[in-house]
Order: sequence, then C-alpha cells, then structure tokens
Amino acid sequence: MTTTRFHAPERLDEAIRLLAADDEARPLAGGQTLVAMLNADLLSPSQIISLHRIAALKGIEKRSDGSVRIGAMTTHAGLARSDVLRDGHRLLAQAAGRIGHEAIRNRGTIGGAVAHGDPSADYPPALVALDAVIEAVGPKGKREIPASDFFQGFLTTALGQGEIVAAIILPPSLNQARTHYEKFARVEGDFATVSVAVALWRGGVRIALGGVGPVPVRSAEAEAELQAGQLSDAAINDAGALLVAASDPLDDVRGSADYRRRLIPRLVKRAIRAAQAKDAR
Amino acid sequence: MNAPGAPIGLSLPRREAGEKATGAALYAGDMVMAGMLHGAIVQSPHAHARILGYDITEAMALPGVRAVVTGDDIEFRYMGLVVKDETAIAKAKVRYIGEPVAAVAAIDVETARRAAQLIEVRYQPLPAVTTIEEALRDGAPLLHEDFAKYTKIYDAPVGRGNLLAHSIATQGDPAKGFAMADAVVEETYAIAAQYHAYMEPCAALAAFDPSGKVTVWSSTQSIFRTQANLHECLGLPMTKIRCIAPRVGGGFGGKSEATIEPIAVLLAKKARAPVRLVLSRNQDMTAMRSRHPGWIRLKTGATREGRLVARECELWFDGGAYADDSPAVMNFALYFVRGPYDIPNVHCEGHAVYTNRMRAGAFRGFGNPQMTFASESQMDALAKKLGMDPIEFRIKNALPKGARWFGGQAVTESTLVEALETARDRAGWIKPLAPAPLGKRRGRGVAAMAHSSAFLSTGAIVRLQNDGTIAVQVGAVDIGQGSDTALAQMAASAFQLPVEQINLATPDTDSAPYNSGTNASRVTFMVGKAVGEAAFKVRDQIIEHAAAMLGVTRDEVSLAPGGRVVVTGGSRRNAEVSFADVAARSIWAVGGPVTGSSAVMASHAMDKSHTKMSGWLSFEAVGIYTFGAQVVEVEIDEVTGAVEIMRAVCVHDVGRAINPGATVGQIEGGFAQGLGYGLFEDMVFEDGRLANPSFMDYKIPSALEVPKKIECVLIEKPEASHPFGARGIGEPPLVGAAAAIANAVANAIGKSITRLPLTPERVLRAMLEE
Repeated sequence: MTTTRFHAPERLDEAIRLLAADDEARPLAGGQTLVAMLNADLLSPSQIISLHRIAALKGIEKRSDGSVRIGAMTTHAGLARSDVLRDGHRLLAQAAGRIGHEAIRNRGTIGGAVAHGDPSADYPPALVALDAVIEAVGPKGKREIPASDFFQGFLTTALGQGEIVAAIILPPSLNQARTHYEKFARVEGDFATVSVAVALWRGGVRIALGGVGPVPVRSAEAEAELQAGQLSDAAINDAGALLVAASDPLDDVRGSADYRRRLIPRLVKRAIRAAQAKDAR
Repeated sequence: MNAPGAPIGLSLPRREAGEKATGAALYAGDMVMAGMLHGAIVQSPHAHARILGYDITEAMALPGVRAVVTGDDIEFRYMGLVVKDETAIAKAKVRYIGEPVAAVAAIDVETARRAAQLIEVRYQPLPAVTTIEEALRDGAPLLHEDFAKYTKIYDAPVGRGNLLAHSIATQGDPAKGFAMADAVVEETYAIAAQYHAYMEPCAALAAFDPSGKVTVWSSTQSIFRTQANLHECLGLPMTKIRCIAPRVGGGFGGKSEATIEPIAVLLAKKARAPVRLVLSRNQDMTAMRSRHPGWIRLKTGATREGRLVARECELWFDGGAYADDSPAVMNFALYFVRGPYDIPNVHCEGHAVYTNRMRAGAFRGFGNPQMTFASESQMDALAKKLGMDPIEFRIKNALPKGARWFGGQAVTESTLVEALETARDRAGWIKPLAPAPLGKRRGRGVAAMAHSSAFLSTGAIVRLQNDGTIAVQVGAVDIGQGSDTALAQMAASAFQLPVEQINLATPDTDSAPYNSGTNASRVTFMVGKAVGEAAFKVRDQIIEHAAAMLGVTRDEVSLAPGGRVVVTGGSRRNAEVSFADVAARSIWAVGGPVTGSSAVMASHAMDKSHTKMSGWLSFEAVGIYTFGAQVVEVEIDEVTGAVEIMRAVCVHDVGRAINPGATVGQIEGGFAQGLGYGLFEDMVFEDGRLANPSFMDYKIPSALEVPKKIECVLIEKPEASHPFGARGIGEPPLVGAAAAIANAVANAIGKSITRLPLTPERVLRAMLEE
C-alpha cells in the first residue's frame, strides 16, 4: 500500500531535486487542478511537492528593459489587479480576471495553469498573443521557452522531467500594443468555448485563439491579411475564414465544433473592435 | 385565527441558520461513531452486462479492509415505490454505467477507495439500449426479463419489451374539438436530463445495535421511504430499522427514495461495525438520478375568437434502468396536459421506457416542468397565429374556480387570472421594451403555471412539556427549504407562543408519526395541516385544565400570549394560570400528559365520467391546485446567441405566506433552478455514459447568471382547507420558468426553439436560419 508524501521545501533546487528523482511526484502550486484531479481519483502521486514556500517563485517585477517577470506562484487574482501590468500587458491581467471564480482566482497560480497546458484555459492564447516567454527550471538548469513553442498539445507542454515553470516573461515590445481578451463561455467561470487574444500595433497584428485546437491557434496568413487590410470589415472576414481553417475544434459539452467555427470570425471581430476602442487612452 | 403577535406572516430567521452559517450543522457525512468504518463503492463500467463473478481477494488482503459486499451477499429482494425492480446493490446484471456493483468498508476513506479499485468484477457485456428509440426496437434486449413478475401498483404494459408504463386519457371528444378549431398548432418538444445538484451528495451512516436493530442517519427527503425501501430490499422487519434525518443539504426530489442507505446497511452488517458512506460528486452524478428527458408531441386547436377547443398529446419519457418514480412522473406530466386552462376535448398518451441509462426520478415539478414547457410554448405559438396578445389569450382560457381538473377533480380556487393580470401590470407588459443596444436583441415572454399542494398522508404529535413549552413530532425532513421554521411558526401561532418555545423533534422513524416525504410542495401544506390539527387538540385540553384550575367554565377563559390562560369575564376576571401550571396538573394530578395527535390524508375524488383513463396510477391523493404567472425579459447576444435574463417577475398564489422571507426564497430558488433547466443544464449521455459528470463540465446557475432581482409578488388568499391558510410553493416557481424564458427568446428572435436547454448554439442557429 502506498501513501502520498508531502514536502514543502524552501529552496527551488530542493524542489527540483525531489521532482527529478521521482516521476510519480507532482508539484503543487495553487492546487486548483491538482487537488480536483486527486479528488476524482485521476491521479495518485507518490509525493506532492508544494512550491508555496519558495521565495524565488513569487512576485511581479518590471525590469529595466520594460519587460515584466511574473513569478510562477503569482495568483490569478494577484495578476488581475496588478498595477505592474500596464497598457498592452493588461491583456494578461484581463485573461487572469476571467479564470474560474473569485475563490479559484485567489488560489490558482499562473505557473500551475500554464504548466497544465489546457487549450481551453485563459492564459495560453493570451501568452501567445503577447509573445511571452516561459522561464522553466529543471535539473539541467534554467531555460527560456517562447509561449508559441511551450504549448505542444492537449495538456502537453515542453516541460521535461523534473522541470517546472519558474516565471513568465512579457517582452517590452508588445506593451505598446492595443490588446484585448475576448472570452465566450456557457456561464461565467467556465472554460472557454472560444476565446480570442488580440494584440494590435503599428507594425503588426497578432491573434491567438483558445478552445479551438489542442494548442493556441494562430494563422500568419490571417494576421498578414488584417495588417494589409487595415482591420477593415472585409479583412476581418477573410482573416476569420483563415483562422477557422487553421483551427481544429472538438465537439464537447461546451459547444459543437461547428458552433466553435461559427464563433471564431464573430468573436475575432468583436475582439479587434474592442482592442481598437482602447486607442483613446 | 391569528392573534396579535402570533408569529405567522413574519420573516423569522431559520431556526438552524446560525449553525449552518458557522459550519457547525451536522450532516450525515459529518457524523462519527466509535469504531466507525468508511465505505466506498465500485461502479459498473458497462451499460448492460451479466455479472459472472467477483474476485475480492486482493481487496480483502489490503490492510485496513473490513468487509466487501457484492450481489452475492444479497437475495433477489426488490424495492421501489411503484415497481419493485431494484435490489440493494446490482445482482446478476448491471443495467447502467455507474450502477453500484460492489462496496467496501475500511478503516479510512483512502483505504476504502483503494480497495474498491482492487475489486474485480467479471462481466459478460450485453447489447445495450441507451435511447428510447433503441429500447423500443423489435428484438431489443430486455433490461428486466422478470418485469411481469415484479410487484407493480398500476396497470403496467406487461410483455411489451422495455415499455415500463403506458397511460391513456380522454376527456370530451377531441376529433369534434379539432373540427371546431380555426387555428391548429402542432409541434414536438424535446427535453433534456437535469441533475438535482443538491449541495450535499448522498450520504449515509448505518450502525447496528446489540439487539440487531440498525439505525441509519442519511441525507434523505423521507425517513419513512428510506425505512420502507430498506425493509423491502433487505428483508429486515421495520421493528429492526430506525431511520433518522440529520441536517440535509438539499434534495429536489433526488432523495425521495432510497439512495445508498441499503449499501451502507449491508456493509455495516458484514463488517459488524458502523459504516459511513458518502458519494463523491462524480459518483452522485453517475449513480443516482436525473430529471426525465424525452419528448412531447403536442397539438392544440382554438377558435378564431381565441377559445381553446382541443388538445392532443403524445409523451415519451426515458426512465432509465430502474422504474423509480417514472410511471408516477409520467402520469403527473399528463395530469398537467391542459396546463391551467379549460380545454374541453383532450386526448393524451404517455409512455415511460426502460433504457440502459442512470434512472430518472422525482425532480422539483415531477413531470410538470416538461409538460409546461411544451404547453406554454404552444400557447404562444397559437396566440401568434390568432393575432392575440399572449396574456389576453391565457386569461380568456383560464380555468375558473368550480371547473374540473383534468381527471375530474373539482378546482376549489383559481387565482390564475389575478396572477396573469398582476404579472402583466408589474412587468409593464403593454409598454414596448426599450430598444436593444447594437448587437443585441430583446424579448419578453410569459408563462402561466399550475401545480398541486396536497399529496398523500401525514401525521403529527404535539405535546405540552413540563415547563409549558410545546414539543412537535413530525416525520417531515427540512431539507434546507425552511419547513422546520414554518412548522414551528404555525405551532407557535396555535398556542400564541414565541417560536423559541416550540421544540421540533429530529425526524426519526422510532418516534415520529408517518409522513410520506418532503416533496410535492407538501410539507407546509400537508404537515402544517397535521401540526395544526394536533395543536388545536392540545390547546383544547389546556383550556379545559385551566378552566378547572380557575374554577370557571371553558367559555370564560381564553389563551393569552406567552403561554397563559386568562379568565375573560366575571368575578375572577384576569385570574390566570400558566401552561406550566397546566402541565404540572396533568402529569401529577389529573388527566395524564397533554398530548394531541392527528392523521391527515389528501383525498380528492376523480370522476371517470369526466376523463376516461387507463394505465394510470390513482391520483385521488393529489389535489389543491395553485396558480402562478411569470414574465421574463431577455437580451440576446447576436454574436454568440447567449441569452441573458434581464428581469423576472414571478407572481404566485401562496395562500398565506407563513414566513414571507422563506416563501420568496423558494420562488427565487425555483426560478433560478428553472433558469438553469431552460438555458444550459443538460446531462449529456453518450452511449449511456455521462459525458459531463462534474461541476466543471455540467453547469448550474451561479449568482452571476441569475438576474440581480427576481421580482416576487405573493398572492395571499388563504386556502380554506388549511388551518393557517397556506399553499405549497416549493415547485411552482420552477415549473414555468423554462417556458417563460423560451417564450421571451422566441419573442426576441421571432422564432420558437422547441428543444431544451436553449443553449447559445441553438439560439444562434435559430437566428442565422431566419
């Protein structure tokens, strides 16, 4: 008979060592997914390594180059009301504010949510749209992985054995963008049926979709079309069609694949117009 | 009746509010006993399979495991309200995915769960039928080969495959009625399975005492139905079964019959120790019950003046793997086939079908929400066709006082017109809605509804205690709706005592008189009536004692507030004795303990010459029709099809609001649950497997989906047959909610959606097809 052991190391290297030595061990951040999975008997880890006491994983910091480094243990609620995230970076705060309910946002962390790699979750499209970088730490040390490479499939990320998300880095460039996160869900607090993260700036357009494929969906052609067409209705329609073609939605309780395909162009238009409306500020 | 200061009509706080708010309240899952073990269940992975055998060696070898129970531990003994077709745990066959097939008791929950995973059940899978259509196909595999042999309390369709119940009723001459019609609408309405979503998943604690008597504390709506089911499926005499309800975290119909009590008792017996079994949310959603899904074909005709003349209805309910309440729910739906209207010519046929899916059962409204969705949708379609205002059309056809209910019962009171007019005025119906903002559409819809208050039987015992306070013993469980507070208020009013001086005993089959259950909107009405009758007997005895003690006649004394009896005239005017004085005299000197009891039975004669019925359960113990009307305003997002409820006006006849705060709470809660039913709640079964067995995937309304203000208007016209004037209000607020929402959506998009729930996807599709 096995029992689950619990550790709460203070040092990051100690946590990494414990995780790397045992592939049945699981890191615990906010526990909003892990604990639910334990309760549902979907997981029975040999060890739970709590990350709560590790100071290196905490805090949001604006760096001198204008980039923002968000510690993995930052809660969704903390991120949603952070005044370090400004202008274009507000996209991430907006996404954080739409995760689950208040109680979930008070416990759940960005590191845990990102490491879970759920394509219907709110962070993945927002991070891809913001060109974010995931700082991972593992037994071989630290590495930086662009968000667009980090999400590899349904609940699958680039993290290796014993590796955890240590921080999220938002590059300074997209701080100048006008951004918007548009989420559609059956009820408040649900995972997205479809979500759209938009960043618009002088030199380009970036759109990432959530809930319509195993990873956040982008289309370079759609973005080029929008850029060339100066965000006209016609350009948005064409881009919407290209994004539909790039998507690979499933039929599930949150909506049929057909419905999701119908929503994509509609929500993309709504998101772009909402981002443009932020111009006034 | 109501003396000044008596606590009827006051919004007193719940008796148990403090303990619930602080978390101190004890639910079955919180209870502990010395030596108590913890249970876990094993659920069937097959929709239909023969059980070939079990291997429990590994599970029993796990340290800490005390007992494993399987079908081998029981005989073929069956329980059930209308068909006895269920054993305590699966035996010989499993009939749905999620059915409990084995259980284990161990020293802690973790060990029990782990042991449950080690139990091996060998199955021979059988072809399954997971929809009504599949179940009815020629040569379809039978769920219950022994259906003919089962005990049934209605005329069942034996030898017709998986057909569980088939009921027909005819009133008037439908062919002639349709011949008179200038406008006819016919439509098929599809309805989804809704989960009860009570806050507390099913839980039970079972403990045998040295005499061999088992006590079961469980999350139940009826201690007496629990006792009866245990008796039937385990073969124990009722002298050996004691059922108690501690605090219960909701039921909504799902805990009307046995849940997991039989399994807890089997484990406790085999382990020779108390066993507590608590289902996880996932287990509760996959093992217990749902509202009946199915479809209703409805055809209605009216004259060009807007007079309803004929209706025809064909109803199919998917009952799932066990009968449970299905024939009764199906019959009750048909009982509301006319809605609250006077339709002279009606023909209806209803069917309940066994399928390899979790059973459907009682659920707030009991078939009426399904029928009301169909009927009220059709009323709007007809009004549109006739060019009439929907409310005007309804008023024109409202069933008046003195008319007959479908089935022939007398309608003793009707407030339908008043409810509709009040809803119309309150909602500002004649004023057009403010124009919708860009990208949105707005609409407004109405639904009228009726429901019953009287149901089955109950009793009460009321006792004067030594200190002059009053003890009330009833078998009714307060499942969170506030009936304890309402019953205490009624008892307090009978004695002109503050409610604090009323003790309401914990529901316990060892001491309470029989009560059928906390369901059918019946506790305040039926049990309140029983409490009143017993209380008045005690009051009479108190007056008799007091008069003797004061040396005057009965007519010269009267009850005074605060537990006193006072002389009202003559030379001894103002002399008084207290209830405590009376109690002392009764127990030490004269007469014996002051006690009153009552027995109440709902009895409302039906009339075969009015409505011809076959294949029906008797409905004579159902009656007292209560009316209401709701108006809903919606705003629809043209981009996504999402529906937002902007406003809800709910007008309900409550007879007399015993506790107006709790009454409004019932209306708000009922409307909110109806909103979920109307807009998004849908248990999706794929080949018999529930695709959304968690609150992550199955969504119920939160505070953010419910409109900020549900405007409740109470019509208070005291019900003559009730000692305190009350009527039941537990179910009516849900019954019409989905229909009112659907009509508002139809008004907004110019097209009626005939399938529940009205998901954004369905609404968008309807808008794009225009």
